[in-house]
Amino acid sequence: MTMFSKTLVSLTTAALLLTGATTASADKLDDVIDAGVLRCGVVLDFPPIGYRDANNEPAGFDVDYCKDLAAALEVDHEIIAITWAERLPLIVTNRGDVVFGGTSDTLSRAKTVGFTIPYAIYYAQAIVGADSGIVTVEDMYDKKVAAAIGTVPEQEWLKIAKELGIEGNYQGYQSENEVFLAVAQGKAHAGITTNTTVLPITQQFDTVIAGPRMPWGTDYTSVVGPRMDVTWLNYLNLFVTQQVRSGRYQELWGKYVGGEAPELRIPGVYY
Amino acid sequence: MDYNFHWRPVFKTLPDLLQSAVLTLEVAILSMILGILFGLALSLIRINMTGPLKWFAVSWIELARNTPALLQLFFFGFGLGAFGIHFSPFLIVLMGLTFNNAGYLAENFRGGFNAIPDTQIKASLSLGMNSFQTYTRIIIPQVLRIVYHPMTNQMVWAVLMSSLGMLVGFRELSGETQFFASKTYRIFEYFAVTAVIYYVLVKIILGISRLIANRLFKY
Repeated sequence: MTMFSKTLVSLTTAALLLTGATTASADKLDDVIDAGVLRCGVVLDFPPIGYRDANNEPAGFDVDYCKDLAAALEVDHEIIAITWAERLPLIVTNRGDVVFGGTSDTLSRAKTVGFTIPYAIYYAQAIVGADSGIVTVEDMYDKKVAAAIGTVPEQEWLKIAKELGIEGNYQGYQSENEVFLAVAQGKAHAGITTNTTVLPITQQFDTVIAGPRMPWGTDYTSVVGPRMDVTWLNYLNLFVTQQVRSGRYQELWGKYVGGEAPELRIPGVYY
Repeated sequence: MDYNFHWRPVFKTLPDLLQSAVLTLEVAILSMILGILFGLALSLIRINMTGPLKWFAVSWIELARNTPALLQLFFFGFGLGAFGIHFSPFLIVLMGLTFNNAGYLAENFRGGFNAIPDTQIKASLSLGMNSFQTYTRIIIPQVLRIVYHPMTNQMVWAVLMSSLGMLVGFRELSGETQFFASKTYRIFEYFAVTAVIYYVLVKIILGISRLIANRLFKY
């Protein structure tokens, strides 16, 4: 082996080792900083938390959270519009770095992806057809009820429906927009969504009015990231607390939803 | 990929998936039967008639063949819904598939009719048969033989296209898969198993159609 060949082999080996070492130690945080862009999955049929504005640009509470996180990381942001059912696959397939999408932090989901501490709190509420006659949850039992596939409202309602033997009345749709359209057209008598969405939808459709609050608990939602990337999740946790401490959480909640932002701490729980 | 495969939830719900596969077959077979009847009618109208009926047949065929199947399903779902006409998800998919099948099959049938020489019609009429007898006893049996394999393709297409039904809330095989996948978050596992089920379904259909072809067309 000539001197030149030996040098070349040594340099290549060193480069490979260095690359390997870098890859082994790099985490999602480093990857995002190196890439110079933060890819956020956001559900855009979830007004006023995620929607498209009059110029068809992504807007809303979640979109601004993505922008804030990108600004904190000093990188650009990219909004990836996703459906409810796509929130977890987006992370698992590494098409996105993070999901801001009102994702309830269930133990079942946590087997697949990682969750931060809660960053927004909602409760489930129905929108109903103006002439449906629905006032209480019990009124919904013999009516056609719709929800978006892959959401907590769907799963919670199906638990009730199974107990009562009324699963046949349930209708699952790909997105909340289709749920709203189904209720507006009369295909479904009621659609289950989140409390923050009820006002903009009832303003959009004359045939839709606010319905009853659903009988299950408060929906604590978290930012979603890869399950095994704990350092990234730590950073996201810090981001969530910084948003509250800086007053940005209240500012954005006031801007998009209005009123006092909900208390994020769970009574009796120590983080 | 940051993902570990877990197959247990899928196997636990396999009976439900197979049950929904039966629903897939049901809607595909029904849409094929109706598609053949409508397709035959459209084809005969297009070949033999003029005026509004012909325009209607041509419009149907053009729309069915030149617009996405998804839009056709949405028309029967949300499109008619806008006028207060509501159907169950099963009927929406059945109507959408039938509309699409009929459009494609009509053109297959037209090709089949064109392949039969006119002289056969003249010969049948000269033997004393009326038009109905000529078509049902002489022409259509030959046309069916010509279009048999394209019809098999259309059947396979109907089975696979029924998966669009999940977009209008129909819980056929794909809809059921998505439902369980969103419940358990074992997305890859569910869709992998479902792909295998679809593959087996299509292979069974092709096998049966080959058996029928061997029996019907052995001469």
